[in-house]
Amino acid sequence: MFRLSLLGATLTMVSVAAALGLVYYSMIEAELRRVEQSNIDEIAELQNLYDEGGISRVRAAKAAGIVPQNLSSNTSEFKQLYDRGGITAVERAVTVRGASYEALYFLQARRQSQVLIRGNILGQGDLLASEAIAQDDLNNKGYSKIQFLYSDPNSDSGDFIDRRARGIVGNLKLGEDNVAAIIVGRDVEAISRTGDKIRSTLVPALLLAAILGLISSWFVSRSFAARVEAFNRLATDVRAGNLDRRAPRNYSEDEMDLLAEHLNSMLDHIDRLMQAMRYAGDSIAHDLRSPLTRLRTRLESAAVELGDAPEADVLFSAAEDASELLTTFDGVLRIARLEAGERRELLQPTDPKPLLDDLAELYEPACEDAELQFTADIAKGTDILADRGLLSQAVSNLVENAIKYTPKGGRIHLDLRKTRNGRIAISVTDDGPGIPSLDRERVKERFVRLDKSRTLPGSGLGMALVDAVADLHRAEFILEDGFDDRDTLGLKASLILPRRRPGLGVDEGKPKPVDKA
Amino acid sequence: MRILVVEDDEVAAEYVRKGLMEAGHVVDLAPDGDLGLEMAKAADYDALILDRMLPKRDGLELLGDLREDGDATPVLILSALGEVDHKVEGLRAGGDDYLAKPYSFTELLARVEAIGRRSDPNAAVTKLKVGDLEMDLLARTVRRAGQKILLQPREFRLLECLMRNAGRVVTRTMLLEKVWDYHFDPQTNVIDVHISRLRGKIDKEFDEPLLHTVRGAGYRLQV
Repeated sequence: MFRLSLLGATLTMVSVAAALGLVYYSMIEAELRRVEQSNIDEIAELQNLYDEGGISRVRAAKAAGIVPQNLSSNTSEFKQLYDRGGITAVERAVTVRGASYEALYFLQARRQSQVLIRGNILGQGDLLASEAIAQDDLNNKGYSKIQFLYSDPNSDSGDFIDRRARGIVGNLKLGEDNVAAIIVGRDVEAISRTGDKIRSTLVPALLLAAILGLISSWFVSRSFAARVEAFNRLATDVRAGNLDRRAPRNYSEDEMDLLAEHLNSMLDHIDRLMQAMRYAGDSIAHDLRSPLTRLRTRLESAAVELGDAPEADVLFSAAEDASELLTTFDGVLRIARLEAGERRELLQPTDPKPLLDDLAELYEPACEDAELQFTADIAKGTDILADRGLLSQAVSNLVENAIKYTPKGGRIHLDLRKTRNGRIAISVTDDGPGIPSLDRERVKERFVRLDKSRTLPGSGLGMALVDAVADLHRAEFILEDGFDDRDTLGLKASLILPRRRPGLGVDEGKPKPVDKA
Repeated sequence: MRILVVEDDEVAAEYVRKGLMEAGHVVDLAPDGDLGLEMAKAADYDALILDRMLPKRDGLELLGDLREDGDATPVLILSALGEVDHKVEGLRAGGDDYLAKPYSFTELLARVEAIGRRSDPNAAVTKLKVGDLEMDLLARTVRRAGQKILLQPREFRLLECLMRNAGRVVTRTMLLEKVWDYHFDPQTNVIDVHISRLRGKIDKEFDEPLLHTVRGAGYRLQV
């Protein structure tokens, strides 16, 4: 979530910086470019003036007869006349235009042996301009850009404040020769100040953007995280078998909402398939019970009719097979009903001690008969919410499994204790062959029997029933290694029941009325 | 005994009738709840076998009407709804015993004979006697041929259950229900082990065995 907020803040900062940059560019840079372009244009215009001045001076000299009519343009006399006329025209234009300070000029020409300097750039700008001309590093288009400061004597404030200007350094040409260097500049003080202002707002704007971005994306990511959390909870619940859970929707049709919708329709589909499958299995079991019952009844009554005839034995054992099938079907239906969770509301506050004492008493002689050493360690004073019948059956299944798989001379231990975090653990431990850890989850499924138990009687439903009963009691059903103190494998099967919270019991549901004396 | 079977499944009803008749009982059949109530009121039956789900009148409703009328005929309820809570519901409505489908016929026979005998006036006795085996329910002592036999509390209850049903078959399931209050069938021979311990105490040192195993059914205490 923190990373998301940071990313959000960064994005906001970047977009604010981009917006400011765009404003800066369209307001300042474009204006400066326009200024430069008009400077370049003006140099071209001055070149035209130069040429016009030159041509008219040559023409006037020819008319006056000072030079011959056919004076070649290659002669130095022609060039002299031309240059003088051109420079005079440019000099006049620079002086006239420069007076209003609409533009800034600096003209440096050679007239005979002396250097002519004209222009309105004063102060530092003066020096800078001559330096720029001296450097003479013009680009291939014949000009270079300069920035300089100048003072405007006509400005309203009246003092000689340095103002910023942008200029172009270029040359006036006569044919291929450079005859004069010229700078045309324009005042950019106003636009530069605007630029300064925009630049100076950049840092506070970015800071503000960072803070706002951080806050807003924290809110956004928090609600995002909450919605993702809802999906996570859903996944956990569904994995725990609550197929009726659905993702919450806000019907905004945004991506998360669409995800929820798709997830829900997927779960609907799975749920339907599961129900169809379970229903098919359960109804087969249910429908087969009646004919099987009749079959058994027929076999039994036939056996009774035969009395002591040897055929009666065959009939009796056939009837017993039918009974076994019926028991299996009953088991399937029982588990199905338990898994449906219908009986959860029937859980009662129960002391598990007498329940386990009874079971210990029931199985102790059977263990002794099977030459197993049976011990029990049942703690007093625990309290759980349970269905006595179902819990007894679950523990009895575990004990019977232990008896079935533990070889002669082995040990079986039944124990009830409080765990460190206050839950109630009922464990049946044996030192039989155990269950490989890879198979420990699998054996909790219906009809799963491990290879070595196939030869023993059983339907493969015992552990599945224990698992279903555990689920009903919101208990954990854990299979682990047997006794700590031996090298034998063994199995410890534990039901870890939740501590009974006060107020959830049947008799503690309502607050007791206050006795007013 | 004269027994009324109220059951809508004709095949099942016929088998029950046949089986009960072979065991020496007189049996009437009623295919629905209305007729069942009429017949139960009209004649004096020793026991009623009542299916829970019936056309026209539900089994529990029939039982309620019967009990309201002051009729105390023992009733065995049959039902496909085998869960314990349904059982409790059936017993609360005035049933004397409850048997979940599918049941074995021997189980049904044992149970119906057990409840039928309960209407006998000698059911409230304080002493039980089978042959030379005597049980004093108040002093909680057992003697055989005058010789005192020491029993654990659970063994005492086991023997009491068998003696109250002396001469009749008591199934393993019945013993689990009545002596241990468990309503499930263990896969192992737990009951057999308890019975053999009891047998060791009451039969071993005597010539004539009283506690018999009935093949395919359960146990019977008989001279």
